[in-house]
Amino acid sequence: MNKLTKALSLLLLVAICASPVFAGGAQEQIGSGGTLNVYSIMPEKYATIIFEEFTKDTGIKVNFVRLSSGEALARIIAEKGNPQVDALWGGPADTYEAGILEDVFAQYVPAQAEEIPARFRSPDGYWTGIGVIPLTFMSNTKFLEEKGMQPPTSWNDLLDPAYRNSLQMADARTSGTATERIYSLVQALGEDEAFEYQKQLHKNIQLYTKGGAGGAMPVATGQAAAGIFYIVDALDIQQQGYDLQISYPKEGVTYGVEAAGVIKGAKNRVAAEELMDWASSARLGEVMVENRINYIPTRPDVEVTNPALDMSKVNLLEAAASWKGENRSRFVERWIEEVIQQ
Amino acid sequence: MLERNLHKPTRKSMMKSDPALFSAMVAVWISFAIFIFLPILRLFMTTFVVEGTFSFVNMSEVMGKSYHIKALYGSLILATAVSISGTILGYLFALAVTRTSLPKVFKILLGGVTILPLISPPFTSSISLTLALGPNGMLLKAFGIGDFSIYGFLGTWISETLTYFPVAFMVITAILNTMSANLDDAALSLGASRWRMFRTITIPLSIPGIGNSILLLFGASLADFATPLILGGHSFPVLPTEAYLMITGMFDLRGGASLSFLLLVPALFVFLIQRLLMGKKSFVSVTGKNGARTEFAKLPTELSVVIGIICTIVVAFILYLYAIILWGSFVEVWSVNNSFTLRHYGYVFKHGKKAITDTLLIAFLSTVIGSVLAVVIGYIVQRKKFIGKRFFEFSSLLNYALPGTVVGIAYIIAFNERPILLTGTLSILVAAYVFRYYATGIRSVIASLEQIDPALEEASLSLGASSTRTFTHITIPLIIPAVLAGMRYLFIHCMTAISATIFLVSVRWTLLTTRILESMTELQFSQASAFSIVLILIVFIADAIMFYLLKLSTAKYHKPQEITNEKIGA
Repeated sequence: MNKLTKALSLLLLVAICASPVFAGGAQEQIGSGGTLNVYSIMPEKYATIIFEEFTKDTGIKVNFVRLSSGEALARIIAEKGNPQVDALWGGPADTYEAGILEDVFAQYVPAQAEEIPARFRSPDGYWTGIGVIPLTFMSNTKFLEEKGMQPPTSWNDLLDPAYRNSLQMADARTSGTATERIYSLVQALGEDEAFEYQKQLHKNIQLYTKGGAGGAMPVATGQAAAGIFYIVDALDIQQQGYDLQISYPKEGVTYGVEAAGVIKGAKNRVAAEELMDWASSARLGEVMVENRINYIPTRPDVEVTNPALDMSKVNLLEAAASWKGENRSRFVERWIEEVIQQ
Repeated sequence: MLERNLHKPTRKSMMKSDPALFSAMVAVWISFAIFIFLPILRLFMTTFVVEGTFSFVNMSEVMGKSYHIKALYGSLILATAVSISGTILGYLFALAVTRTSLPKVFKILLGGVTILPLISPPFTSSISLTLALGPNGMLLKAFGIGDFSIYGFLGTWISETLTYFPVAFMVITAILNTMSANLDDAALSLGASRWRMFRTITIPLSIPGIGNSILLLFGASLADFATPLILGGHSFPVLPTEAYLMITGMFDLRGGASLSFLLLVPALFVFLIQRLLMGKKSFVSVTGKNGARTEFAKLPTELSVVIGIICTIVVAFILYLYAIILWGSFVEVWSVNNSFTLRHYGYVFKHGKKAITDTLLIAFLSTVIGSVLAVVIGYIVQRKKFIGKRFFEFSSLLNYALPGTVVGIAYIIAFNERPILLTGTLSILVAAYVFRYYATGIRSVIASLEQIDPALEEASLSLGASSTRTFTHITIPLIIPAVLAGMRYLFIHCMTAISATIFLVSVRWTLLTTRILESMTELQFSQASAFSIVLILIVFIADAIMFYLLKLSTAKYHKPQEITNEKIGA
C-alpha cells in the first residue's frame, strides 16, 4: 500500500512535469494547403476585414496575430530556425529593411507588382507596398478655440508656449510613427537642425507614447492638445466622432509605406505567394476604400473617395526605405541621447 | 516500515530513507532544468557569447549609457516604494478584515474590491487612472487642481501600489488567520492592553507574512513593464520597460537581454535579505498543543476607526476607477457620444470567443499544475534539509524575479528547435505561467509551514504513518488556506498577465489580455473596457466555482484539521 502510494505520487509528478513536453509534440502538426499563418502589424480591426475578403476571393483561411512592428520582427528573428508564420502583413517598410539584414524574408515579386510604383516596392522583391500613410498634425478643436488658435500649419507652430505640457506623440524607441517624424524633420530641416528642433519641442511634450496611435485618444478627449500621427490613425479617431482638426506642415512631411512580405522558410509558401498576388491587385485598394480603412492604396488606379486622403495640396517629402533603414538606429540613439535626456 | 518507526527521523537521514522525497526532488529538478535553466542559459549565451567566444561587449555597451543606469536606480526606488506602501496598505486591509469589529458587509466589500486591481490587466487600471488624475483628468477638474503631472514616479507608484497591494492583503490575511487566538486571550487575561497585545503579539507573529509580502511586491514591481510603460513617461525610466523597449522597439535582443541581467542583482539581493531576516527566528504558533480555539481579540477602537477610514477611502477610489471602465464599456463613443449600447459586448462575444476559451483552458491547466508543484517545492524547502537548498529555492523563483518580457524571449529562443519544440503550442504558455506565477504559492506554503510545528508531522511519523501519508493527511490539511491563496493568485495571474506571454501567443492560441492591449492600442477604449469587464466577470465566477469545488473536495480533510487544532491539546 505504502509503496503503491509512493510509486503513484512519483508517476503523477513526473507526468505533470513532462506533460507540457508531450503536449507540444502532439500539437506540432498543423494543416497546410488551405491555410495561411500571418503576423499582422496592421491593426486587428483592419486585418480582420481584409483577410475575410481575401478568404472569400481565394478560399485560403488566414490565422493571424497582431503584433507591434518591433515585437513582430523580434519574433520572426527568434523563430528563424522554425518559422511559425508564412507572411508578415503591414508595418512600415523600414521594418522589412531591418529584417532583410537578419535574412528572415524570402524574395517574391507578386503577379501585378509592375502596376505599383517602384518607390513603393523593395528593389529586390523582399517586400511590396500595400498602402501609403503620410504624417499629419492632429489637434483638439476645443483646445484651439479656448486659446483662440488656428490649427498648426508649420513645424514651428508646435513650439508655441501655448502647447506647454500638452503635446503627446510617439516614443522613437518603440514606434514607427516616431521614427517617421524624425525622418520628416531631417528631410525638412536638415539633420542637426532637426534634433535642435526636437530639443525645443521636448518642452511642450506631455508624454511620449509607446504606440504611434497612443496619443490619439488623449488628444481626442482633451487630455492633450495636439500630436503628430499617421493619417490612418488620425482619420480613424476622427471617424469615431471626436471633434479634431487635421493639418499638415508647410515645410513638408514624409510618408510611411505599409508593406507585406513572405517569410523565408514559410511552411505554406504557395498560399503566402497567393496573398502577395492578391495584395498587389486592385482588389486590396478597393476593399480598403469600401471599409473606410484610410491607407492610400499603392495602386494609382484605385480611386480614393475620402477628401482627407487627397494629397495634391500636401507637401510630401521623399525618403527611400533603404535610407530610413540605414539611419534608423542612429537617429533613435541620437534622440535618446539628445532629446529625452536633456 | 519497522526501521522507520524505530528511527527517529532526524532531518538529514530523511533524504536517504525517503524514496518518495527523493523521486519528487528528481522530478522537480528535471522540470527546473527544462523550464528555468535551459531558457536562461540560452538567453545568457545570446548575451555573452559573441561569435563563439565569451564576451562582455554587449554588457558594457548597455552599461555605458547613463540612461540605463538611471533606469536601474528607477527600478530599485520604485520596487522599494511599492513593496513598502503596498504591504502597509495590505496589512491595514488584512487587519480590518480579521481583527476589527467593523460590519461584516464592509469586510466582504473590502475582500471583493481588493480583488479588482488584481484581476484586471495592469494597463487597464493605468488608463482609467490617467483619465482620473492625468492632464485634464476628471478628478483634477473636480477638485480644481491645475498643474499636476501623473507621468513619472508618482503615477507609476500609485498605480503599482493599487495593483499589487491585494497580493499583500491575501498573503497577510492568510497568516493572520492561521495565528492562534489563544495567545491574544493569554495576553489580555494577563492584563496587557489591546495596544500592547497588538504590538507584542499580532505584529511580531505577522512578520513572516510581512516579509513574504515585501518580497513578492518587490519582485512584482521589479518585473512590471506595463505600468511604467503607460505612466512612467520619459523622465522615469525603469529596467524592465527599457529592456522591453529595446527588444520590441530597437529589435535589439542582445541589448535587452543584457539589461535584464542587471535585474538579477536586485532580485538576488532581496532574496538574501529575506533569508537573513527570516531564517533564524521561530514563528511557530500552530503547535498542536493549543487550548480551545477562541475568537481573535479586536484591535483598540481608535486604531480600528483609523483603519476603517483609510480602507474606505482606498476602496472608494478603486471603485471610482472601475466605474470609469464599466461606464466606458456601455457608451457608444467614449466622452463624445454617451448613449447606451451593448454593441461592444456583441463584438467581444463574436470576435473574442476563441480568446476567452483559450484563456480559460490555459489558466485552468496552469493553476492545477502550478499548485501541485508549489506545494511540493514549498514543503521541500521549508521542511527538509539538503545540500543546495538555497539554490533550489532561488531556482524555483528565478522566472518570477526576471522581467516577463525576458522570460518570454528566453522561452522563444530555447523552445524553437528540437529536441524541445514548443513554440506556437499550448504547452509553452502553460509552462511560462506555471514557472513564473507559482512563486506566490511557494511563498505562502513556506510562510504557512513556518507557523506549524514539525512536531505534528513527527508525531504522525512516529505513530507509523509513511512520509507520503503524513504529507497528505497532516501537512496538506494544515496548509490548505495558504495553498488556496496561492492558487487564487496563480489563476488570476494566468488570466491577466501579459508581459511574458505577449511573446508566446501564437496564431493558434491567443489570450484575452493581448486582445485588450490590442483594443487599447487601436484606440477602441469602449471595446477594451468591454473585454476587461468580461474578463473580470469570468475571473470572479471561475474563482467562486474553484473555491466551492475545493471546499467540497477538501471537506474530508477539514474535520481532521479541526481535531488537530481543537482537541489534541485540550
